[in-house]
Amino acid sequence: MPDDIAEVYRNTYPALVRFLYRKVWDAERAEDLAQEAFARAVVHKPENTRGWLFVVAANMARDEARRAAREKRHLTLLKSEPDAVHSEPEEAIDADRQRSAVRAALEQLTPRDREALLLWDAGMSYDEIAAQTGLARGAIGTTLARARRRLVEAYDAGVEGGGGQHAARG
Amino acid sequence: MTQESKEGGDSMPHVDEGSLHAYLDGELPSAERKTLEAHLAECASCRAMLAEERALLDRASALLGAARPAERPAPPFEQLRPRATRRSPWRVRTPVAWAASLALALGIGYYLHEPGSQPAASALEQRNLALYRQEDERGRTEPQAEENKPAPVITTRSRPSRNPAAAPAPRVATIPPAHHDSADAAARAGVEGARLDSGAGLSREMDKAAAGVVAMPPPAAQLQPRNAAAAPAARAMETESLMAVEEAARRPRAALPSTTSWPIISRGAAQSLLGTDPVGVPGFARKIRRSPAADGTVVVEQQVDSATTIQIFQRRVADAHLDSSQRVDQLRTYQARDAAPTDRLARYVGRLRVEIAGPLSLDSLNRLLDQVQPLP
Repeated sequence: MPDDIAEVYRNTYPALVRFLYRKVWDAERAEDLAQEAFARAVVHKPENTRGWLFVVAANMARDEARRAAREKRHLTLLKSEPDAVHSEPEEAIDADRQRSAVRAALEQLTPRDREALLLWDAGMSYDEIAAQTGLARGAIGTTLARARRRLVEAYDAGVEGGGGQHAARG
Repeated sequence: MTQESKEGGDSMPHVDEGSLHAYLDGELPSAERKTLEAHLAECASCRAMLAEERALLDRASALLGAARPAERPAPPFEQLRPRATRRSPWRVRTPVAWAASLALALGIGYYLHEPGSQPAASALEQRNLALYRQEDERGRTEPQAEENKPAPVITTRSRPSRNPAAAPAPRVATIPPAHHDSADAAARAGVEGARLDSGAGLSREMDKAAAGVVAMPPPAAQLQPRNAAAAPAARAMETESLMAVEEAARRPRAALPSTTSWPIISRGAAQSLLGTDPVGVPGFARKIRRSPAADGTVVVEQQVDSATTIQIFQRRVADAHLDSSQRVDQLRTYQARDAAPTDRLARYVGRLRVEIAGPLSLDSLNRLLDQVQPLP
């Protein structure tokens, strides 16, 4: 029997937004895509709504990334988001910098490791991650261990590099 | 999982990191968990490794936590709407409905200029009118130009249907060179049914029609007293319309009336009608009207440029007491409507169902609809 989508929506929406955010790196866009995924789920009524949502979301994010790459310049013109770095408080700058560093670190993971990590962080179980990624369930722990290690290492390496620059500027 | 080593405590790793992560994640199957815990109890090096892996895991989680979006509350479930419009073109009300509107306007004009015309409608005409109205809602067929009658024809270029069985390709009529004159004539006739304020606007919409715009149905309320006048156009459509009767019964839906005769009301009055702030696109002048039918519908008319007025219809949906399954139904209904060719772009804003219409491209309307928010 299909799940109650409204219920899944309440429980899963924030996790889906978070999952998408780490792929498109635009909070509003992530929300849009998450809502779109749910709207499609209402139409398709999948058996396993949660799993289905994440598959659809991952696909949408991939399409989005391709499209964004094509339209990057166009978007820059249209959005004209105020890049008010100067007026931002110090913490906000730090938060931004940290977010960029995490993003850069995540991008150094293999797609499979990254996917497993993001799915885990979105609240999926090993079983769900296995179903989603095609990995054996017994391999999820190892995959996550590797993904976490690489994330931390890449982040530290990036921050050291960035910190050096920062120190040089300061 | 555990590489057994009865001696324990030597430099050999006894537990692989994958198992430790699964253990820390609470995902190790219970048999394996027991084995692992028994081993950890005896093996100091594996306990140290566990601590390391835990620190790594916490660190990774913290990093991911730093890269999360600001959490905003999820919008109400019933507000969800599919936006995959880039990939799948919106199924739209074709300009045909607009043409039908104009046919009605001209019909009324014709009637007004005919001193001997009978105001009372025959039974046949009544029926034709019902068909006519349904036809307009369907937005599929076109009024046929009758000889010696100023019934308009208009070029249509409908978007291709994804489901040819569900939506037969509309026939294409030729556009007479004098169509702008017809439009102006309609405007000059001062017919209430003519929706736009000026002949220029009308022409503009006629032009836009070829590019596929959302068109308005004729004013249902105004059809009633003058139905005799509409009969010529309606009769012309009868053949095709007959098929629509059954569908009308199956899919009843109130046509949204044109608004030129709607009383203008204040923002406060709109607010009390809607139970919430009226919505519109910020930054444009507005005029608020209410439906004369007292059905709680309000329209906010906004001039987006000197020649273009958009209409934002809004009505409160009684969702306060709906449970979630009904919301799903509501959403489903909405989506079913969305797929129907007669529908307007619509969304929910808070408790309002909001529809947009205007002589603009669907993309523009969609973008404007996205910007709709409570008006100050």
